[in-house]
Amino acid sequence: MNFLTPLFLIGGLAIAGPIIFHLIKRTTRERTLFSSLMFLLPTPPRLSKRSRLEHLLLLLLRCLALGLLALGFSRPFFKQTPLDDPTAVQPKRIVVLVDVSASMRRTGLWAAARERVEATLGKVSAVDQIALYTFDRAATPLLPFEEWNRTPATDRAALAKARLAAVSPGWSGTQLGTALIAAAEALAESDGKQFPGPRQIVLVSDLQAGSRIEALQAYEWPKNVTLTVEAVKASKPTNAGLQLVADSADTSRAADTLVRVRVSNSADAQREQFTLGWTQASGTGESVFVGKPIDVYVPPGQSRVIAMPIIKDTPGLDRIELKGDDEDFDNVVSVIPPGQQRLNVLWLGNDAPEDPRQPLFFLRRALSDTPRLGVSVVARNSTAQVLPEDVANASVVFVSEALSAAQAGALREQALAGKTLVFAPKSAAAAATLGALIGREGVAITDATPTNYAMFAEIDFKHPLFAPFADPRFSDFTKIHIWKYRKLDAAGIPDARVLARFDSGDPAVIEAAIGKGRLFVLTTGWQPDDSQLAVSTKFVPLLWSLLELGGGVSAAPAQWFVGDTAPLPPGPAGTEQTEKDVRFTQPGIREVKMGERTVRFAVNLDANESRTAPLASDELERLGVPLTPAETKPVVTGDSKIVLQGVEAENRQKLWRWFIAATLAVLLVESALAGWTARKENSKQPEAAT
Amino acid sequence: MAVAPATSRLPSAKFIDAQTLMNIRSLELRARAVVEGFWSGMHRSPYHGFSVEFTEYRQYTPGDDPRYLDWRVYARSDRYVIKKYEDETNLRCHLLVDQSRSMNYGSRGHTKSAYAATLAATLGYFLHLQGDATGLLTFDDQVRDYLPARHGAGHLRQLLHALERPSAGRTTDLAAPLERITSLIRRRALVALVSDFLTPIDQLERKLVALGACGHEVSLFQVLDPVELNLGLDQPAMFEDLESERTLYLDPAAARAAYTKKLDEHCAALRAMCRKLGISYHLLATDQPLETALFDFLQDRLKRGRQFRPAFRGSNGGGSA
Repeated sequence: MNFLTPLFLIGGLAIAGPIIFHLIKRTTRERTLFSSLMFLLPTPPRLSKRSRLEHLLLLLLRCLALGLLALGFSRPFFKQTPLDDPTAVQPKRIVVLVDVSASMRRTGLWAAARERVEATLGKVSAVDQIALYTFDRAATPLLPFEEWNRTPATDRAALAKARLAAVSPGWSGTQLGTALIAAAEALAESDGKQFPGPRQIVLVSDLQAGSRIEALQAYEWPKNVTLTVEAVKASKPTNAGLQLVADSADTSRAADTLVRVRVSNSADAQREQFTLGWTQASGTGESVFVGKPIDVYVPPGQSRVIAMPIIKDTPGLDRIELKGDDEDFDNVVSVIPPGQQRLNVLWLGNDAPEDPRQPLFFLRRALSDTPRLGVSVVARNSTAQVLPEDVANASVVFVSEALSAAQAGALREQALAGKTLVFAPKSAAAAATLGALIGREGVAITDATPTNYAMFAEIDFKHPLFAPFADPRFSDFTKIHIWKYRKLDAAGIPDARVLARFDSGDPAVIEAAIGKGRLFVLTTGWQPDDSQLAVSTKFVPLLWSLLELGGGVSAAPAQWFVGDTAPLPPGPAGTEQTEKDVRFTQPGIREVKMGERTVRFAVNLDANESRTAPLASDELERLGVPLTPAETKPVVTGDSKIVLQGVEAENRQKLWRWFIAATLAVLLVESALAGWTARKENSKQPEAAT
Repeated sequence: MAVAPATSRLPSAKFIDAQTLMNIRSLELRARAVVEGFWSGMHRSPYHGFSVEFTEYRQYTPGDDPRYLDWRVYARSDRYVIKKYEDETNLRCHLLVDQSRSMNYGSRGHTKSAYAATLAATLGYFLHLQGDATGLLTFDDQVRDYLPARHGAGHLRQLLHALERPSAGRTTDLAAPLERITSLIRRRALVALVSDFLTPIDQLERKLVALGACGHEVSLFQVLDPVELNLGLDQPAMFEDLESERTLYLDPAAARAAYTKKLDEHCAALRAMCRKLGISYHLLATDQPLETALFDFLQDRLKRGRQFRPAFRGSNGGGSA
C-alpha cells in the first residue's frame, strides 16, 4: 500500500494520547463537595501501574479510531499498472462536435478549434471510440463511429485530422441544441451491444450567445453522457453585426423608399463607432461606399435600427455594408429592393365594366393594387377569340358566360396544363361551356330561385379557399343571402369536390381537377341580382384566395438565410421545371435562371450569428446537460509522472472513504461502550455527599 | 492518628442511633426522644425541684445581717457564724449554633447542620424541662437569628423553629457571634457554642476570654462528620469547598495522612485553648448518639460546678445567676 500524503501518518502518534489518559486512574471531571479544603493540598493525578491499564477495550477502540483517521488522511492507494486497473483501460466513446457556423470565421477561432480537436485526438487510447461531427444548423458526421472502428488504430487520428482539415467554417447559423441531441443519440447507438465505458461529448465551439439551445428543453439528456466544453475564444472581442429588418409581404408601406437595417454590437465589444452605407465592388475588388455613408453609434450589447434611403441614381445596388468592425463576416447584408408584382386576371364575359349590377364591376374593385401587388383585370368578350397570350399571362381565368366550343376547348387545354379557371355562370345557358371545360357532355344546369333566399350552409374550411375563414370570428356566412343560383349535380363532374353547399343542399362551390389545373365552379354570382356576396366582407378575401390558389401571388420573403431552402416559382406554363427548390449555402444575391427568367434571392447570415458574446456558462447545465470541466494536463515527465499516476490511482480507488467510514463506525462503538461503562461505574459508586 | 470523640465515659445504656434519630422529621420530637431516652437510661427522675441548700458556715463579721446567725452553733460553741446557702436559681443558657455552609456536609444521610440543630434542640429541651431559660443565636458569616433566654413552652417552640430555619450564609465567622453575645447578655449565663470550627481559631481565643471575663460559662461542641475525621473517601476527584467553592484535584489516599495530621493539630489547638481558658470542649461525630453529648455536657457541668462552685457562691441570693 502506498500513501499520497504520508506525512499525515505522523498523526497516528496521537494514539499515545488515549494510552496516557487511560493510565491516569481517574478523570478529573467528577466533583465531590467537601466542607472545607483548609486542611487539604492538591495532589497530582495518580498514574495507574502499567499492568493496570483500565478499560482495555475502550483504549483499543480509541487507538484504532485515531489510527484509521491518520490512515484515511494519508490517502492510501494500491499501486497498479494500467493493465491491472480495470477502470484505466475502460474504453470511452466520444463524439467530438466541431462548430463550423459563421461565427467561427472570426480571427483565429478555427485554428484554435482544430488545435483543440487534435489535442483531444492525441489523448485517446487505442480502445476508445471516437466520432467526429461538425455542426452549424445541423450536425454532419465527418468520421462516424463505424468508420473509426474500421480504420486501423494507428491511422485513426490521422484520418480524423485529415477530415477536419478538409472542412472550414461555413456561413450558417448555430443550432447547438440540435447538434448536441444528434451527438447524444450517436453515442447511444452501439451496434446492438451495451457499451461499458463512459460516454462523452467534446464540444469545440466559440459558444456564442446566438447558439440556439432551445431544442434541449424538450429533450431528456441521457444519464451516462457527459459534455466537455472546449471553448475557443476570439482574440478580438468587438463584433458588430448587420441584419436586414425585412418588411412583411403585405405591408402597405411604399416599397421603394427606405430599407431598414439593424446594427447590433456584441456585449463585450470595445468599439462603438461604425460606418454604414450602400456599397458596390470597385475595380480593385474592394467594396466602396456609394453615396454618403451613415455614422452609427452602437454601445456594447445594444442595437440600433437604421433606415437606409434607397439611392435611385445608382441602379443595381444590393449590398449594405458596415465598416469599422473587427470581424467582418457579418457586416454585409444583401437587399433586393422589393418591387410591385404584376398579375393578370382574365375575365371572359360580356359585362359592361362600369355597370354596378354586373360581376366585373365588383371584380375590378376587389382586386385593386397594393404596393407589393398590382392586379390587371383583362376583360374579353365571350364571343371574341381568346388570345393564347391572354390566357397564358393570366393567373386566373374567370368565365361568366357561355363560350364557344373553340374557346372552351382552348381554356380546357390551358387548364390541363395547370391553369386555374373560375366558372361563375350567370345563367343555366352556360351548361354546355361547363361540359366543354370538364370534358364531359350532358352536364345539366338549372336556374334555382329559393322561396325566400338561400344561405351558405356547409363550408369546407379545411380547403385553402376557405381556410382564411376557419377562425370562428370569420366563419359566419349566414349574413350573405342568395337570391338566385344555378343548380347542378356535382356527381356529373369528374374529380369534383363540393367545397360549400347552400342550405337547400345544392352545391355552392365546386372544385374540379382538370389535368394539372383546376376549375372552381361558383353556382351563384356575386352581383346584386344573384346574391349579397359582393357586398359582404367575405368577397375580397375569397377572391385573393382564388388568386393564391391560381399561383399568381407569391408571398416570397424579402430575404433568406444561409441554409434555407427556397421553393422556386413555377416556370412558364408548358415548360418542364427540373428543380423545385434552391438551397442557399452562402450569403449574397443568389440568381437562379429559369429559362429566360432569372429569380433573385437575397441571402443573408442568420442574425443570431452576430451575437458573439460568450454563452452563459450555466445555460447548458440549466437544460440538464451535465458538464465536466475540460482537462488541462500539464506535460509531465519522470518522477512527477509517477506521482501523477499515484494521484490517478488514488482518485480511482478512493480508499480514504473506507477508512473514514471505519473510523466513524469505531467511534460509534466506542461511544456506546463508554456510555455503558460510565453508567455501570456510576451505579456502583456510593453517594459521597448530600 | 485521627481525632476521635471521647465516648469512654458513656454509661452502658443503649442510646438511639444517630442515623435513626435523624430520620425523625420533627426537631422537637428528636430532642424529646434524646432527652427522655437519656433519662430512662440514667434511671433518674426528671421531676426534681429546686431548693435552698446549705453549703457552708462563715465567720460573722460586723456588718453581716444578724438574721443569718446560726444560733445553734453559737449555743454549742459560743461563736458567731453565718450560715450560707447555695444559690440555686434558674440557669440561663445561650445556644450559639453555626449554620454556615460547611455545616451542610454530611456523609451519613444527615448533615452536620441537622446534627448540630438536634444537639441544640436537645439541650434546649432538657433545660426547658429543668425550668431553665434558654436563648438561641444562629450565625454563619454574621448573626442570623437571636432569641433571648426565656423559659416557656412557646419560647421553646420558637427556638426550635429558629433552629429549623435554613440559613443563607456562606462562610463561618466565629468572632461575630461571640462579640454579639458578649454585648447582649448582662447576667451570668452558660454559653454553648456548636460549630465544626473548620475555620482559623486565631480570633476565637480573645473572644472567649472576653466572654469568660464577663462571668459566663462556655462550652464548645465541635461537630464533625466521620468522613471529615479520617478523610474516608476512596476515589480521586475534584473536591469543591462548600463555602468558598474553591476546587482542587485530590486523591484521598494520597492526601489522607497530611489531612488527618493537620486536622489533629487544629483540634489539639482548640482543645488546648479550651483547657487554658477553663472551657469545656466536646468533639462530636455525627454518627455518635446525641445522648452521649448530653451526658458529656452534664458530666462536665457537674465537674465544673464542683470546681468553680466557690467562684459563683454569692451571699444570700443577691448575686445574679
